Amino acid sequence: MTTNPAAATDNPIVYIVDDDRSVRAALEDLLASVGLRVLAFGSAKDFAAHNMEDAPGCLVLDVRMPGQSGMDFHRQMTDMGIEVPVVFITGHGDIAMGVEAMKNGAIEFLTKPFRDQNLLDAIHNGIEKDRQRRKIAADAAALQARWASLTAGEQDVTRLVVQGLLNKQIAARLNISEITVKVRRGHAMRKIQASSLAELVRIAEKLEM
Amino acid sequence: MPADRMHTSPRIHRFLQVLVIAVVMAAVFVADTITGYEIAAAVFYTIVILMASRVLIGRSLIVLGAVCIGLTVLSFTFTSSGHYREGLINTAISIAAIVVTTYLVLNMEAARTAAHAAQTRLLRIARVKSLEGLTTSIAHEVNQPLAAIVTSGNACQRWLAQDPPNLDKARQAVERMLSDAGRASNVIARIRSLTKGEPPHKSEFEFNKAVVEVVALSQAEMERSNIRLTTEFDPDLPPAFADRVQIQQVIGNLVLNAIEAMVNIPTAARSIRITSDIKDGSISLSVFDSGVGLPAGVYEHLFEAFWTTKEEGIGVGLSISRAIIEANGGQIWAESNSGGGAVFRFSIPATLEESGQ
Repeated sequence: MTTNPAAATDNPIVYIVDDDRSVRAALEDLLASVGLRVLAFGSAKDFAAHNMEDAPGCLVLDVRMPGQSGMDFHRQMTDMGIEVPVVFITGHGDIAMGVEAMKNGAIEFLTKPFRDQNLLDAIHNGIEKDRQRRKIAADAAALQARWASLTAGEQDVTRLVVQGLLNKQIAARLNISEITVKVRRGHAMRKIQASSLAELVRIAEKLEM
Repeated sequence: MPADRMHTSPRIHRFLQVLVIAVVMAAVFVADTITGYEIAAAVFYTIVILMASRVLIGRSLIVLGAVCIGLTVLSFTFTSSGHYREGLINTAISIAAIVVTTYLVLNMEAARTAAHAAQTRLLRIARVKSLEGLTTSIAHEVNQPLAAIVTSGNACQRWLAQDPPNLDKARQAVERMLSDAGRASNVIARIRSLTKGEPPHKSEFEFNKAVVEVVALSQAEMERSNIRLTTEFDPDLPPAFADRVQIQQVIGNLVLNAIEAMVNIPTAARSIRITSDIKDGSISLSVFDSGVGLPAGVYEHLFEAFWTTKEEGIGVGLSISRAIIEANGGQIWAESNSGGGAVFRFSIPATLEESGQ
């Protein structure tokens, strides 16, 4: 599974995986009627094989399908690098099944036929969760990129700065002049976009230095 | 009538077997009497007992063994030629052979009965299991189009609620709903033809016993739900003539319906009464429940496919029950119970011979 970063968008998308053509068509239409973008698949395999869009999403997954069941697919999703939240729909669910699905992190477990509002609420819930997840992931990636733009010398100085060492101590530790430490420290602050020492420390924590 | 032939041919068969046994017995008796003491012709009574083990059971076999011993002794008194002492020993050996054979045959028969009972039980469990599987897959098959219909209906409402309403999309949704409804009723038509396609395997059976077996299966369920069960079986019923397993499935369905009908009433008021009787050559079964009963005007829809009053039901149980009962030459109907609740009744033909009484 690959993502297509070129087409990054915030316009959410709902994926539907159900082997029943009627149910698929009806769901597509219901979601279209509330203005959601939809991509529907007849099997988990087809879904896994397609190129995921770089947009917040939610997966509506049928439990009982020929071939791989929805539950099995859900368990393997993380390993496959698919992280969209899942809303289960099933023809005849029992409590045990629902509990297991929720334990595995599903947003909701709905028994067919379900109230449309319940499904829509669950989907919006899922999309919102995915949006947050994506934002956290994007922030972390941006921060990582900023850190990577530092030279090796600047990174060394920054590590010691956040440990609370004084310029003089850093200079002694790295065997460089205090002036050099000041210069590198200034560059690092600018590149990392930290306006104060406190902010630099906070960013360092996020980078898990 | 073919039914008549099926019914009488085992009788003729049995009569012939008894006749052969009697002839062999007589032959052994004559041989034992006219031959001298030295010839132990009486041992051949063991053949009689072995043959009879196919026809007779339990006590009758013991009686037959006793008769053979009696005949042996009789032959001994009638025989006049040969050495008396040898004759005495031979007679004793013959009697011992008859006793041992009878004993072994009885043992064998008990083992065979036990094996047969175990097999019947297994078969019944398999039937119940397969019916469970059938209902699960029916539920799934019917639920899919139903879910699609509901979802399309919701979508349709939303398209219509838009300003201006999207009539084109709404029309498409309605078309999908119609085709899905058609698909759902095809599922039921297929199930009904399944029950119809397989001609009922009719045979004579003891009706009350068949009912008791089914009721026993649902006993645990009734106890769990605190339901008081009373049965009034007509003890003089002639045997029924139908497919025993199919009829039992219908009875099971009616009993389960009765149990489910009383979920929402106080425990103290829950009771089921099951009665059997015969009228005009038909055996009928009635299942009375003390549930909420059925509103007037629903009786004619009860046996239609997809018609249900249950929240979880899909409305195929009674439809299938009717198909089964009709295939067995009977009728099924429902009435309101004068004491509150509902009565479901069906009638099936009794054995033809007895119905003439």
